[in-house]
Amino acid sequence: MKISKSIYLFFIPGLVLYSIFFVFPTLSALFYSFTDWDGISADFNFIGFENYQRAAAGDSIFMKSVGNNLEFMFFVAVFQTLVALVFAIFLVKNTKFNYFLRALFFFPTILSSVSVAFIWAFVYDPNLGILNQLLSLLGLEFLTQNWLGNGDIAIYSLAFTQVWFHAGQMLIIFVAGLHAIPNDLYEAAKIEGASRWQIFKKITWPLLAPSATIVIAYTTIQSFQAFDLVFALTGGGPNYSTEIIATYIYSIAFRGYDFGYASAISVIFMGIIALITYIQFKVLRSNRVSY
Amino acid sequence: MKKWLICFIAFLGMIVLAACADESSQEKQSEDDSASASEGEDTTQLSFIHWRGEDKEVFEDIISQFEEENPNINVEMNIYPSEQYQSNAQQLLRDGSTGDVFTSQPGTQFEAMKEAGLFTDLTDEDFVSKFSEGSLSVGQADGKQLAIPYQMVFNMPVYNKGMFEELGLEVPGSWSEYQEMADTLMENDIIPVVFPGADIGPNQTMNSMMMNNAKDEDIFQKLESGEESLTNEWWVTTLEDFQFFNENGYFQENALGTNQDSAMQMVANEEAAMIATGSYHMATLKELNPDLKLGFLPPITVEEGEVDYEGIHTATFMLAINSNSEKKEEAKKFINFLSEPEIASQYANGTGQHLTVTDVEYESEELQNTAHWITDKNTRFQPRYLITEAAVEEAVLGSIENVLGGASPEEAAKEAQQIVEENID
Repeated sequence: MKISKSIYLFFIPGLVLYSIFFVFPTLSALFYSFTDWDGISADFNFIGFENYQRAAAGDSIFMKSVGNNLEFMFFVAVFQTLVALVFAIFLVKNTKFNYFLRALFFFPTILSSVSVAFIWAFVYDPNLGILNQLLSLLGLEFLTQNWLGNGDIAIYSLAFTQVWFHAGQMLIIFVAGLHAIPNDLYEAAKIEGASRWQIFKKITWPLLAPSATIVIAYTTIQSFQAFDLVFALTGGGPNYSTEIIATYIYSIAFRGYDFGYASAISVIFMGIIALITYIQFKVLRSNRVSY
Repeated sequence: MKKWLICFIAFLGMIVLAACADESSQEKQSEDDSASASEGEDTTQLSFIHWRGEDKEVFEDIISQFEEENPNINVEMNIYPSEQYQSNAQQLLRDGSTGDVFTSQPGTQFEAMKEAGLFTDLTDEDFVSKFSEGSLSVGQADGKQLAIPYQMVFNMPVYNKGMFEELGLEVPGSWSEYQEMADTLMENDIIPVVFPGADIGPNQTMNSMMMNNAKDEDIFQKLESGEESLTNEWWVTTLEDFQFFNENGYFQENALGTNQDSAMQMVANEEAAMIATGSYHMATLKELNPDLKLGFLPPITVEEGEVDYEGIHTATFMLAINSNSEKKEEAKKFINFLSEPEIASQYANGTGQHLTVTDVEYESEELQNTAHWITDKNTRFQPRYLITEAAVEEAVLGSIENVLGGASPEEAAKEAQQIVEENID
């Protein structure tokens, strides 16, 4: 079928909006990353790559925030994908009970990040929080923790909250992916005497690869963008132990009034996300199969 | 081709129609606006922005009185959450249409606004004389009065006076007396100080904890210029004091995970004798437990002869006029109105705050009982607000969290000093 060239005209409104709200701010950030702009004054100076040099060589908090973010991302990507996958496998059949459970698991996704932060601040409170109280009631006092106040575990507490927050969303993607796998393949495998594990390994997982690619890429990006949750729950503390790149950018820009440097870190941040997402796509693409 | 073109024209037509509808509604809106403008022809709309949501009702009442007295001025008050105000106020003030009267915190925010030229010089205004002289310096720069602090906050622990009376405890005057007091409280299963380490604990308590360890009021200025170091005795000793409080049970368990709401609840329930925050929590504590009798009790970490400072104060909520405003005269009238003793008294009593305005009459027992701290006590301006670099402030606070998390004071000071050095010119 020949498609008329005039169809491209329909791209214009979207393109204009995209340019205004995405392309222009991105290019602005790139521009300001070469300046010493404080975010308020009309004047600024071009300082070349100074901001980038500072980030690369002389900013221990930036390095720490990158490390924290990677740790957070790794935990979230692995556990969120696993939790969503396991739940999706159990809830794949379209029964009324499964519909209910899917809706229940999806529910946290529709909450705002700040609401989630309030809920979990209450859950994690070491003195009045329900988590420690529940553990004590169950005789598991030795497991009670200062969940957000202990710098060694605070990042994992945040990551767990992030998994709780978004696993339902990924569950739906996996359920859709599972429904797209032809039933004939399972029937054939069963006739051939394949075990459950073999069926999962040879049929389910390879054919779920496109969904998994989306889930993992999306989870990764989300975990880099978890600013509001981290900001509301710990503000990056204690002692920078939960400082992630997004909260650090905020801190530099809006507390330190150093927009030039914050822009440079934002550009680096964008590069990190792009690189990780590219690697993931490459790796997961190589696992794809079709029958 | 033709079909696509028709579709596209139809699509454009819809957009144009929508735009026209919007335009016509805007025209209607502007007609309405001009109609209301002609009703009150000489009315000036004054924008007042600040961050204190808890003062909304009191301010609304004060504004209605002001409008009654000045029928040609309407005050539109916009309140932003504290964090949002911190990040957006400068942008809002730039074009002059918002924030004819605005507020600023001392320290980093004041410095940034000053650098951006957002303040109008108020030096020669008559209302300046209505404020206590000692509080004004925080809003001054280059010999000019750029902002006027309205509130007087005491950033030091608030204690349960009734509990002290019941236990026969005296307010300690030295470090050894303080330790005796804390031990007695613990013997009675009471936490001496509840420390909200998850949010404001470190940034509030650092002030009173260091006040007599670093008596030089320029200490942070020297730190930022590279003349001083956090690894020196004044800060390491302060961190040792924090460690002592934490390891000896003066602070509650899991201090770093406790937020201010939980901390207030513990004082209201009389599980703890003191809360390491400040005067601004007294009104809420009274709401939570009306039987509480409250006072200030800063940690005295030196022996009696070495006590120079008895507490910490902050002259804050600084009123200022936007240099880009076209309504400066009206803005001055509004600040003048706020500085009248009756209005200031209404604000002080309605919000449970001490003010910098002289001749304010405090009605509540708590405000009356603690007002003498303004005149009779040798309090020191909050040192934290004298840190002008946000990254330095965060390093200082981070070192406290590091110590409470188990690091040694020396190690924490060293790590923080490294961050300071990375962030000073």
